Amino acid sequence: MASTRPPALPSSSTQHSGAGGTVQLTSVRKCYGDFVAVDNLSLSIKPGRIYGLLGPNGAGKTSTLRMIIGIIVPDSGQISVFGETLKLAHKDRFGYLPEERGLYKKMKVLEHLLLLAQLKGLSSHEALKRARSWCERFELSAWTGKKVEELSKGMQQKVQFIGAVLHDPELIVMDEPFSGLDPASTVVLKDVLLELAKSGKTILLSTHGMDQAEKLCHSICLVNHGRAVLEGDLSQIKAGYGKCNVQIKYDGDARFLQESRLVQSFNDYGNYVEVRLAPGADTQELLKLASAGARLSKFEVMEPSLEEIFIDAVSKPAVSKPAVSQPTVKSNA
Amino acid sequence: MRNIWLIIRREYLERVRTRSFLILTLLVPGIMTVVMMLPAKLATMGEKTQRLVVVTSTPQFGEMVRQRFLSASTDTDEDEEESPDTNAAKKKPDEEYSIDVDANPTEAERAVLRDKVTSQAIDGYLWLSDEAIASGKVTWASRNMAGFGERSHLSAILNRILQYQRLSANGLNTDQAERLLKPVKVEAVRLERGRESKGGGGGKFLEVVVMVMLLYMAVLLYGISVMRSVLEEKNSRILEVLLSSATSTELMTGKLLGVGAVGLTQILVWVVIAGVFALPAMAMQPSFSELQIPLGVLLAFAIFFLLGYLLYSTMYATIGAITTTEQEGQQLQFFVVIPLVLSVFMLAPVVRSPDAPLVVWLSMVPFFAPVLMYARIVVQTPPLWQIALCLALLIATIAGLLVLCARIYRIGILIYGKRPNLPEILKWVKYAKA
Repeated sequence: MASTRPPALPSSSTQHSGAGGTVQLTSVRKCYGDFVAVDNLSLSIKPGRIYGLLGPNGAGKTSTLRMIIGIIVPDSGQISVFGETLKLAHKDRFGYLPEERGLYKKMKVLEHLLLLAQLKGLSSHEALKRARSWCERFELSAWTGKKVEELSKGMQQKVQFIGAVLHDPELIVMDEPFSGLDPASTVVLKDVLLELAKSGKTILLSTHGMDQAEKLCHSICLVNHGRAVLEGDLSQIKAGYGKCNVQIKYDGDARFLQESRLVQSFNDYGNYVEVRLAPGADTQELLKLASAGARLSKFEVMEPSLEEIFIDAVSKPAVSKPAVSQPTVKSNA
Repeated sequence: MRNIWLIIRREYLERVRTRSFLILTLLVPGIMTVVMMLPAKLATMGEKTQRLVVVTSTPQFGEMVRQRFLSASTDTDEDEEESPDTNAAKKKPDEEYSIDVDANPTEAERAVLRDKVTSQAIDGYLWLSDEAIASGKVTWASRNMAGFGERSHLSAILNRILQYQRLSANGLNTDQAERLLKPVKVEAVRLERGRESKGGGGGKFLEVVVMVMLLYMAVLLYGISVMRSVLEEKNSRILEVLLSSATSTELMTGKLLGVGAVGLTQILVWVVIAGVFALPAMAMQPSFSELQIPLGVLLAFAIFFLLGYLLYSTMYATIGAITTTEQEGQQLQFFVVIPLVLSVFMLAPVVRSPDAPLVVWLSMVPFFAPVLMYARIVVQTPPLWQIALCLALLIATIAGLLVLCARIYRIGILIYGKRPNLPEILKWVKYAKA
């Protein structure tokens, strides 16, 4: 399941710990009128890592990304990049991919790429060279003379991505980079991202696709209602949750799932059931109970998936949080 | 600076390369030519040789009228000022008129002539019986009343002849009569810093009208284009990408200058086309050859056109930044068009009394300045400090509006679907300072 995940980079995490990292957010807050989009968010992104900002729709991901690249300004809190307070001069060191397509429809692909690269400070000669090679890589060479509006959505997405990385930025910020891509293009993009990370670029991406993040990201930050629910290395987060999940493929009596002493909750995926063990439950006992009534073809103890961690993390504070956060919203309005 | 230049280039090329730009650039001179040629063409179309009959009891007198009428073109000093309509009639009189003298002023003859006019055998007759001359009321009868120009022309000729006749009847010879009757011509001279320059008020007014028309066209054509492109950027999120590379002020400045360059290009093309095709034709018209535009006015034209155009485009851009759809934007367009229309209304009083205090201060108002201050410069150069103050105010307004617009534009990316109210906009402007 987690086979495509790149090897964790323990060396870099120790190297840069405490150095602040490529991006450092400290108690950042952003409101739109009465609505608190980002609330007291702190996070740290280390160089050469793929960092995932995860959360449901409206959690404040896009606002956070926009603040990091300086499109919008936080109401309070600090943002520093490359070890300095965020300022205009940093713009050329970022690459940004917005959530929806942001391209001039009437412009030709190659010209558009040149414009974006030149705005980032590249010479037209260099921009042309790089644009050509990137287009080749994404199989867009035949389309460089076409207008953007003649391209399919997925192809436009590729153009947009090339525009974001053409100037070889140190920090690549991407809002939902995989939305709208077909499986083949998803693989190409994923490979490119891994390659960029390996060459030392820092990548920050937002997504609500937990699978994608689980495969790709070294570190994550789970946000919900503008607050960080969980932040850190993915491997550490997972280890913290322990091996308390069991995947069972069975045929027959399902009564063992109702045993509340052992099973805290379960999720039926049709082909198999994923069971979350109750605290202190013994997997051997569950195996015995299950095999007594049903025929098992699979029984695997495993780490929880990111999705489960997310649901778990969101559901627990979600009960208490609104009660706490809503009065602060009103008092600040 | 590099970013502004890149944006200017993009905005410029995007517009200049479109088919609509090409069509418009070529079509407008074509339409203008048709519009200018058509009235003249229509006027000459109906003209054929006019057959007239002069009825008088004294044939010599009839002959004099005939001579005068046919040679009227050389008789320039007489009624030039009187009515420009006669110009056409005077041009080639021999070709257009054939005049017979009828020495039989009887009622019977009159009836015959009437029938001839009706049956189109002749086009009209001039009844110059002795009684008619004595009473001072002669009759010009023709099928249509359209020959108004001819009538005043005729009356001028007749008056002249009668004056000669009466003078010679009192014993003066032709020379003496000529001297006595020499008309005085009023020549309009414009005094500017001690120097005199010729040219009537008509030409001056034309300069102002041309300015207003060009400004109006450019604003309507390209102002809306600015608004539309601001809206497009907001709605397609390209703005986010651009903002991650450049500041909103750079983007706005580049956009306006780029679109401004497009407008100037178009007008330049028109001017060149006009220069190549129209000027030789115009040079033949006396009223145009008199129109010598001094260099200072040309300079003022360039400056005020450009600034006016930038001002109004910035207003359009601001509308684009506030609204979210084109329909909404078109409703607010009103605020741009109104000052332009108002300044056209104020044009006449300004030209009439360019020094009146109210006029002076109105011409300082940035939204009216491109038309009114320019008009004042054309009519009578205002004191230098007034021009300087006016330009300073205009430039400051453009810059202020640009910054304001850039701020709203930047915040605008966060709102979709709802037009902000005034307090909200003010809040953004304050907020976006950072």
